Amino acid sequence: MNALSIAFRVLRVDRRTRTSAFLTAVGVAVATSLVLLLLGLPYAVDAREERVAWQNKAEQTLVDQRQDAPALIKISTDRFGDQEIGRLDVALTGKGRLDLPPGVTRLPGPGESLVSPALAELIDKQPASSLGERFGKVVGYIGSAGLRHDDQLFALVGQRVEDMGEDALPISDFTTSAYYTDYDLELLAGVGLVVLLVPSLVLVASAARLTATRRERRLAAFRLAGATPQQVMAMVVAELAIPTVVGVVLGAAVNPLVRMWASEVPWDGSEWHPSDLAAPTELVVGAVVCLPLLVIGAAVFGLRRVVITPLGAMQRTPTKPLSWLRVLALPAALAVFVVAAQLGAGNMVVLGALATLIGSATVVGPWVTAAVGRFLVKAWRGPAGLLAGRRLHTDPKAAYRASSGVVLAVFVGAMALTLLPTLESTDFGPPEPTFAPSTLRLNATADQADKVVERIDDRLTRYGQQERAVRLDNAVVNDANGAPYPAYIGDCKEAAPLFGLSPQVCLDQPAVYGVGGTPVSLDAEYDQSTFPLPKGVATADLPRPVVLVDRELVPEGFKATASLVAVATSDTDTDLIRTAMVAGSAGAEVFSDVDMVASGTDRLDELRRITAIGIVIAGLLAGCSAAIATAGAVMDRRRTFGALIAAGTQVPVLARTLRVEAALPAIIATVGAGVTGTIVGVVLVSLIENAPAVVLTPWLLAPVVVGVIVAVLAGSVCGPALRRVRQEPLSDE
Amino acid sequence: MVADQRSMVQEVLAPPAISGRHLVKNYGPHRALAGVDIDVRRGEAVAIVGPSGSGKSTLLHVLAGIVPADAGEVCLAGSRIDELSEARRSELRRSEFGFVFQQGMLVDELTAEENVALPMLLGGTSRAEAMQAARYWLDRLGLAGRHRSMPGELSGGQAQRVAIARALAHRPTVVFADEPTGQLDSRTGAEIMDVLLEICAETNAAILVVTHDQELASRATRSIRIRDGRIESAVLTA
Repeated sequence: MNALSIAFRVLRVDRRTRTSAFLTAVGVAVATSLVLLLLGLPYAVDAREERVAWQNKAEQTLVDQRQDAPALIKISTDRFGDQEIGRLDVALTGKGRLDLPPGVTRLPGPGESLVSPALAELIDKQPASSLGERFGKVVGYIGSAGLRHDDQLFALVGQRVEDMGEDALPISDFTTSAYYTDYDLELLAGVGLVVLLVPSLVLVASAARLTATRRERRLAAFRLAGATPQQVMAMVVAELAIPTVVGVVLGAAVNPLVRMWASEVPWDGSEWHPSDLAAPTELVVGAVVCLPLLVIGAAVFGLRRVVITPLGAMQRTPTKPLSWLRVLALPAALAVFVVAAQLGAGNMVVLGALATLIGSATVVGPWVTAAVGRFLVKAWRGPAGLLAGRRLHTDPKAAYRASSGVVLAVFVGAMALTLLPTLESTDFGPPEPTFAPSTLRLNATADQADKVVERIDDRLTRYGQQERAVRLDNAVVNDANGAPYPAYIGDCKEAAPLFGLSPQVCLDQPAVYGVGGTPVSLDAEYDQSTFPLPKGVATADLPRPVVLVDRELVPEGFKATASLVAVATSDTDTDLIRTAMVAGSAGAEVFSDVDMVASGTDRLDELRRITAIGIVIAGLLAGCSAAIATAGAVMDRRRTFGALIAAGTQVPVLARTLRVEAALPAIIATVGAGVTGTIVGVVLVSLIENAPAVVLTPWLLAPVVVGVIVAVLAGSVCGPALRRVRQEPLSDE
Repeated sequence: MVADQRSMVQEVLAPPAISGRHLVKNYGPHRALAGVDIDVRRGEAVAIVGPSGSGKSTLLHVLAGIVPADAGEVCLAGSRIDELSEARRSELRRSEFGFVFQQGMLVDELTAEENVALPMLLGGTSRAEAMQAARYWLDRLGLAGRHRSMPGELSGGQAQRVAIARALAHRPTVVFADEPTGQLDSRTGAEIMDVLLEICAETNAAILVVTHDQELASRATRSIRIRDGRIESAVLTA
């Protein structure tokens, strides 16, 4: 009889081994699917960026001579409400041949557009003046092969060459390849791999532990009967190989479903195609081979004492108390991290220091667990506190191991949740804003600016809006000391609302505003020619950091090269005015300070969402591990509990006690990890130059929620497990 | 003298501490008890002997209300307990009965005194009261120096003494002992049996001991032999 047939026989006859094998397979399947997902993440960005390289300004193949280019393009970002819309304006010059970008079956002519299905749906739901008129007549759709994801809002808009302006890019072809590395996502994938893999493996270990005592006895019996260590080892490997291989196959099989779910989680402003998240084949093969080896290796290591000394396998060896020096690991790791960060060490060094910081939890954790156990053993008031305290105190390493997954996740999560809101409180807009936050602007060449203003005003009139576009030309004012001041040329009374000011701040005579000294001359931006300003020109300050020159003061011969067209908006008319500006400027990018803040906070929202998802998944995995460990603990003590039930202890009382016994360590572990992670987060914030004040938000309660999830899951099995014990309260195992 | 006689008469007239009438219990086609009648009075120690599978443990479990009988009745001090709800029977087992099993069935992580206190704590007794009772009974059973010992640090006999202390700590009316010396050598087994009988005599508790060991059975007041679920013989031994 070989090892594999013995393993199959044990599985066939022993229900508990079957349960353990089932749970091990589930744990391995979860670990496999998560590992495959996380391994695929760094490659996902590549896949996505390659698909949408044609939408990316930086990737285009430009032509030196504008007149030789087959097409001119402009790439911009538009917004509707809080949604971002990608936009590519194209004008065909009629010269040369231009291949179509992926997902596009024809290029739109002037006044036409192709839009993504999601944008088409959005256009249909809105009045044309709010959105649709920005894109002209929709003549087709962009297929998913050319989109970041199926819900992306994107428009390919046709224009006339003469409307494209000087800033249009002359291209020879749409690019279809991109090489892009997202370091944030790589870091997240790395941390995620640790944070999610550890609870997955703890889940597997808990499942394997369910039958460990029985397996140890069986293997010891085999050893006593003359089996060699190699034969015993082969039995262990065979017994674990069956559920592990099943789990790996199952995990690989459900990975597409996991990818489908994960593709809904946005990153860098958009969701994914499920296929983007597929890891390369060689990595999949590597993971599928390595994971079973890891699981089986851990189990063999755990059973090494059976192999060495069969008689000793069932004896209880007292555990040595843990040294208090362990507690120094956390501040030491923190110090290393602080030094690495402050010395401006390379990314890898800082990441290594961060890994050490996270890893220090595994050194400190058991000591803290033992300390909590010692406290409970002294301070218990009821049987639950006594049982929990004794379990933590007797074997703190094992007790910590059961919670290590959630401890790591909550520690990292609390650190992140302390950092993110603090960063969010940072103003992502310009440090000293010139314009009112909601003022919409677009850049135009000075030659086209009047025409753009005229078109926008026409549309604004048509839409029944009172606001009007204002032209501001870029210039440089020089003072008597030769100090240059970037300035705008415009009419003060027209421009004041753009800055969020009342026209009453303007003088009744033409003036230069915002120059500290005496303004003496004016330069066009990008032009070295200097034009003197009238002597004794009136000056005044504005309650905004802006330099403005009244247009009447512009010297003869001065010619601006670049202009800004701006419209003041209120909350209610933003989309209408944006439509008028986009349509009136043939697709120029319209922006405001509000938009800049929004794109800054979008990344933080994504990070926070991913952090919360990571903590909850880790919490669920840890909860399942805790539930399995609790069931195992009840079953290991079934004879004792059977005796207590026989002696009249009520099952609900015992179940309640055991629920608290199981929940208490989980709650203490998560809250402790949360507090420590928050403290470390606060320290990390203080390392940021010009650190903003630390913001502690309700998100920090997430660890408590996770603690409760783990505790509920851990305790949930006590009742059913005890009812099983009660059915045969005094039977032999 | 007259007072002693009156006391004896009262004891004879008083209902048995625990009694079973026409007890029947089947496990599928197997008849474990086939109409057993038994009375055990306070202060009396009854040994139940018989071959494996004869129904000894089943009789103990039926009398203790752990397993319901298929037919017959069980009375505690004259009151039927087989008709009570499971919750009420649990309450009775907690307050009126004490149990000693073949293995101590101690919680490995708890000290000797905590193991003795645990059932009382689960029953709602305060920490101070439960721990005080636990220490008293451990001292009574000769374990004065082992209050803080873990089960792994105790010998088999010491662990069984802890289990006996746990069974007696709430001063039960009836003590049920199922092979209490089955895992011990004969000398330690005899010592444990003596301790059990001595304490029960002192506390005037009734005791039922299931055992394979004739030598141990001979130490009881009465020995009942069971075979195929029926009482084969009953012998006064002391």
